[in-house]
Parts: sequence; structure tokens; C-alpha cells
Amino acid sequence: MDVRLLQRQWVDHISALFREGFLDAQFTRLQKLQDASTPDFVVEVVTLYFEDADRLLNNLWNTLSQPVVDFKKVDAQVHRLKGSSVSIGAQRVKNACVCFIICCEEGDLEACFGCLHRLKLEFTQWKSKLEALFRIEQQIVAAGGSLPMI
Amino acid sequence: MSAMQRMSSESASTGSLYTSCLPDRGDSASSPSQELFPAGLRVLVVEDDITCLKILEYMLQKCQYRVTTCSEALTALSLLREKKDGFDLVISDVHMPDMDGFKLLELVGLEMDLPVIMMSADGRTSAVMRGIKHGACYYLIKPVRMEELKNIWQHVIRKKWNGSKDLEHSGSFEDSDRQKRVTDKAEYESSVNEGTDGSWKTQRKKRDFKDDEDDDEHENEDPSASKKPRVVWSVELHQQFVNAVNQLGIEKAVPKRILELMNVPGLTRENVASHLQKFRLYLKRISGMNQHQSGLPNSFCNPMEANSKVGSLVRLDFHSLAAAGQIPPQTLAALHAELLGQPSGNMLLPRIESPVILQASNQNSMILPAEDEVAFGQPLFKCQSGTSKHFSSSGIDAQDMPSSFLSWPSNQFGFMGSNNDLGGLNNTDNSLLMQMLQQPQQHQQEPFNPVASDSHIAINVQPSCLIVPSQLPNSLSGGNCSMAINHNSHPSNNIQIGSSSVLTTSKSILNPSDIAFDYSILSSQSTNAPLSMAQVSDGGFKNTGLLSNYSIPVSVTSSVSTTSVCTSGAAGWRLLNSNMNIASLNRLPGHLPNLSGSLVNHDMVRNNRFVGKGTWLPSRFAVHGIESATTNWNSMKTSAVDDVDKVKQEFSMDFLDGSKVEKTKLPNFPSNDFMGVLSKDSQAGCFLKS
Repeated sequence: MDVRLLQRQWVDHISALFREGFLDAQFTRLQKLQDASTPDFVVEVVTLYFEDADRLLNNLWNTLSQPVVDFKKVDAQVHRLKGSSVSIGAQRVKNACVCFIICCEEGDLEACFGCLHRLKLEFTQWKSKLEALFRIEQQIVAAGGSLPMI
Repeated sequence: MSAMQRMSSESASTGSLYTSCLPDRGDSASSPSQELFPAGLRVLVVEDDITCLKILEYMLQKCQYRVTTCSEALTALSLLREKKDGFDLVISDVHMPDMDGFKLLELVGLEMDLPVIMMSADGRTSAVMRGIKHGACYYLIKPVRMEELKNIWQHVIRKKWNGSKDLEHSGSFEDSDRQKRVTDKAEYESSVNEGTDGSWKTQRKKRDFKDDEDDDEHENEDPSASKKPRVVWSVELHQQFVNAVNQLGIEKAVPKRILELMNVPGLTRENVASHLQKFRLYLKRISGMNQHQSGLPNSFCNPMEANSKVGSLVRLDFHSLAAAGQIPPQTLAALHAELLGQPSGNMLLPRIESPVILQASNQNSMILPAEDEVAFGQPLFKCQSGTSKHFSSSGIDAQDMPSSFLSWPSNQFGFMGSNNDLGGLNNTDNSLLMQMLQQPQQHQQEPFNPVASDSHIAINVQPSCLIVPSQLPNSLSGGNCSMAINHNSHPSNNIQIGSSSVLTTSKSILNPSDIAFDYSILSSQSTNAPLSMAQVSDGGFKNTGLLSNYSIPVSVTSSVSTTSVCTSGAAGWRLLNSNMNIASLNRLPGHLPNLSGSLVNHDMVRNNRFVGKGTWLPSRFAVHGIESATTNWNSMKTSAVDDVDKVKQEFSMDFLDGSKVEKTKLPNFPSNDFMGVLSKDSQAGCFLKS
């Protein structure tokens, strides 16, 4: 595929991500941190985030599924996921975490499960979109091109 | 997340802490070179979130810092302990699986006295407040941005400069311009610190402190050039320091003059300035902790009227003790806080500002009689005999304590109590204070004759350092822990750590080699003197600077501390550390070996953090026992460790909050059966409540 087309695709994709709130300024900062010496920095940290968030979501499910729910623990876990999400620039995931935290504070178990469900959806969606973005990037690099600056 | 201590993979190129690829640096963990500062700042990042950890590591490397990453708090602590002075700054997440971030914060503050920046995604005011209260020098809210990281070096500088500023304040007015310069430097500080500094500055004005031009030189030094020859502030050296300060008067005690008075070859003005700085900082912390303890408002800043002298004296004592002896600040602070925090009556410290008011109380009350003066170096505790007159001349004004002391995060107190890993001065300090408080009563009943002698300097160093005159042992029978530092006048200066009743003060300066700790005293006094009285023989000081850490007095604490002390002879000293198990005191005598010439403090052995530091960044709590450790200690250390750990666990974290500190129990200890009381209440009920 033509590199320019790929690059165009990439720009469109990432612009949509920002526009739709999947990504925020933090992601841009991460991209700016990436340089020639660490060309895979963003992919690397996002991949770490994928694994970490997956695990955290499972932990949250387990914590909420306990006979006696420890909301403080839930709160800590959601904050943990929020910290990751906010550091990676996963805005919508972060927003879902914020709602989750509110439910935790209220001790509303049912609402917490609802928040967890939403959180999982948001994360899954975010993950798939980022994976699509990275695929385009790989194609660009494979075609000898470079990522456009945004 | 699996335990993972990650060395920054790229750090080799940027200069990892552990990298020895900086051959030009004397020690592997040398601080960033002056000219490159802040580049090369050695940062330890503790974060269990691998995503954040990676990002942070990358960002810090971009800032040209030397980054070490760690995903577990315990691993981080090990790192910090292994590499004393190997880091300049710690950034830690609040929530970690193996340890609460605040606990780590406290431990780091206690042991290493490093600036710690907390971070979290939780940006709620309560969370941030909690971080600050626990002593974090800053609180980052995720996502952490490069701009913020680029400025974190200021926290390192501020810490150093704050000490210098303290130093200035203690000095006399020399040059208002220099004051301004200091102030200008203070502008580097973050807003959080600005507030503190502002209040502190206000306090300074109230105290009518004057700048010390010498201090200014210190100020002007590049804080990044921290690799100065380290001075071991032994007990005797510290005593000399205190004496000099007392002679000059607290307001006029400037490093230059102190140095001249001390007349110690090889000691530089910078050393003295740094020491004085720490002393002040310690006092500040004490008052801050006290505030937390007692929940009193900043009214503490107000000079104590009745006890102003005492307070100031105490303050001075604490400070000097902390600074000079490198007593773990936590210990000192803990004791101080305890004392200060005690409300009405029971607590020894009448006010917050007195770091350690170990004064012989006229009654069972812990409050020292107004006439008593606690003079650091000079009689910390004024004997009833009124030997404190030395100190009275020092003119330390209770108001000297900057308000910032009061505003010091209440965590400091918590710091002390919460060290599970560290010797948890917190608890020990409290217990130590307790003991010390008890002492006064005893002291009154049995004035120390030796103490009264001018040749003795009764230094009732706060928790961390109980130094009693050599003669004390005899006089300690009443269980009074008289702490006095033998002056040069005594051929064999023995520093006995005794009960809080510190007595007499003499202006003589202790010869470093003269300080001796006599554990026999301790054992003999054990029943009566809750505070472990240890007389360290001269030999003990020969090694490392045993007394560099005034935590010796901690022997008192040690008694408090617990079983660890008891079970392992040498552990006695270990008591300083967080072992608030007063109950162990009873066992002390039987277990304490005659450590003549050696102080037992495995913490000290373990953490020679205070030894030889040219610039001594005040630890939050001067609780860490005696820094220098003799070989004897080492052997004892091992056995003590387990005990200490056991003891440590006895203290609940609640102590940190101070919410469970029971302050009302203090006065209930029968004067002659302190040990018994202690043993009955292993919780050191006076202070702690699990």
C-alpha cells in the first residue's frame, strides 16, 4: 500500500480517536516523548497497559464477587486502573473509572457491577482501536514510511 | 504484580544508580555533579503499575535523571538501605500491594531522610492532604507530566536549603541581604512548601532570628554538591556543638562561632552549619508532630510562656541532638512529638515547640517545671538542682520554633510510629518519651548528684539520645534516667543514657573519645529507670561514630522497645527503633550485655546513614539509634533484628494517625515502678494504643 495512503489512514484514525474521546492530551505527550532512540515507546507502554488493565478488570470482578464486598479495596483497584488509564491517555476508560469510584464511595454494589461492565466495554473498545492504529503504524514502517507528526 | 526490581534498562546510558560506569565518581552512588545539576539526580521510583512505571521512567530519563525503578515498596526500602545516600529523591505511588505508600513515605523519611514525592491517580483533596501530612514533599496527581518531573529537583534542594535557613534563623542577624538571598532561593520551592516556608519565616521574624552570614555561605553552596566529606557527629561532638550553641545563645549561634567554640580540628563551618540546620529542622518537625499529636492548632507557635525557656531549650536540645548525633530524626521527633503532643499535664512537653522536654517534673506530671531547662548539650533537663542555669543563658526562645514546626505534617509523628521496617521510632519514641517523662519525677526525688556537678552535662536528648554523665549510674538508682554528657572535665567521659531526667548541664565539651556508654547502668537501673541507661564506654565510640547518632539515648527507647532489646543484648539499643514495647524494659537488665564501648543498635549498624555525611539532611525523625556501630553491635544486630521486627509489628499503624495515642496514661506510671508499669502494658500504653 502506498505509504502516503497509510499515513493518511493513520492520521484519520488517530484524529477520530481524539475526537471521540478515546485519547486525550496525555497520549499526545507520550507520542512526543517518543523519539528516534525509542521508536516503540508508545507501543510498548500501551501494550503494558493492555495487560495490566486486563488483569485489573479481572481483579475488580473478583473483588466485587466476594460475599462481603470490600469497597475500599474496590476503590483502590479502580484508582489503580484509573492511574494507568490516565497515564496512557485512555480518556474514556478513565471516565468510566471515575464513575466507578463514585459508585464505590456510595457502596452501591449493583451500580458498581454496572460500572465494571461499562469499564470493560470501554477498555475493550479502546484496546481494539489502539490495536488498529498500531497495525497501520506497522504497515507504514514496513512500507518504509514514518509516522506523521500530529 | 510480581516482585520486580527493575533497573532502568536505559539507565546504564543515563547513569543508573547502580551503574559503576561512572568511574570518575568516588562512590558509586554519588550525587549528581554540581555542574550538571539537576541532571544526574538519582531518583528511585516505586510504583506497582507497570504502565505508569514505564512512562515515569522514560520521562525521568528524558530529564536526564538517573532512574531506578521498583515495583514493590519493600524492595525499594531494601534498595534505599543498601545504598545509603544512593538516591536523592524517591517518587512513590500511594497504593502499592505490599505496603501502603504512606508507610513507605514514613520509613524513607525516618531512615533516609530523603524527599519523597507521592503520586496517585487519586487527586481528591483528602488524599493529597494525607500525603502531605505524612510528610511527602510533594504530591503528584496522575498523569504525571514532564513539566512536573523537570522540577522535582527543587524538592531536593529545598530540603537542603530549609536546613540552611534553619541555620540562619538560629544565628544572629548578620546581613539582611543574605536573608533575602535565602529567601530568593526559597522561591524555588513549590507552592506547597512555600506555604510552609512562609509560616516558618513568619515564625522566624517573631523569633527575631538573624541571618548568619556564615549560613549564607552555606546557602550559597550548590546543594547538588552534596558529596562533602562526611562528619560523624558523635555524641561528644554534638555535645560540643550544643555547648557552643548554648554559650553563644541560640539566636547568635552561627556556624562560624560555633565552630570556633567547638575548636574541633577538621570540622568545617559547613559541617556545623549543616548540623545546625538539621537541628532546627528537627525541632520544626517535632513541633509539627506535636501539633498533630495534640491536635492543637498553630497556636503552638506561640511561645510558651511558662515553658518557653524549657521549650526552647528542649528544642535546642532536640535539634542539636538530632543534628549532632545524627539521631534518627524520627526518634527525636518521636520523643519530641510525644512530649509535645501530650496534652495537659501528662505529657512532658508543655508545648509543641520543645522538641524534647525531658525535664524533671516536679510532680508526676510530665511537664517539666518551668525552671527546668532543657538544654541540648547543656543540661537537657534541668536538674532540680538548677544546673540548668547554663542553659538559661542560652536564651533560646521557645518562640523560636518556627510555626512551620507546627505545621509540620503530623505524619511525622506517624512516621515514628510506623516503621515496620525501620526501627519504628514512632513507637519507641513515644515510649521513650513516656519513660523520660517518668523520669523527671524520679529525678526530682533523687537529684543527680553527679548531674548537678558542673562537670556533667546533662543532656536529655530526646528520645534518641539519652546521655548521662558517667556518674549517673550511681545516681540513677532512683530510676532516674539522668542523661548527661560527660564533659571533658571527666577523664572518662561516660555517656550514660539514663532516664529522662537529664540533669545538669555543664558547659564542658565532651571529648569524642570520652563518651562511654555503660550498659551496666542500664541493667542496674533497669528496674528503676525505664529509660535504658547505657553507659557507653569509650571504646564504643571509637568505631564509627557511634554517637553520631544520638539515638543512644534511645536506650531509653530501647527499653521501650521491646523484646528485641531484651532478647538480644545488643538489641537494647535497637529499641530506639520503633519498638515501643516498653514492657521489654523489664527485661533489659538481664539481657543487656555490658556493652562497654559499644552501643547496640542494629539499626545503626544497619543503617550508617548518618555517618560521615557532610551535609546532613535532617531525617524526619532522629530516631534511628546510634548510627555508628561497633563490631559488637553487628553481632547483636542479627539477633536483635528479629525481635525488633516482632516488636514493630506490635504497633499498629494507627499510631501514625496519632488517633490512638493515649496521652493520658503517662502520668500514671508509678515513679518507682516504671519498668513494672511498662511491662504491664506492652503497648506502652501511655503512647500507643493498637
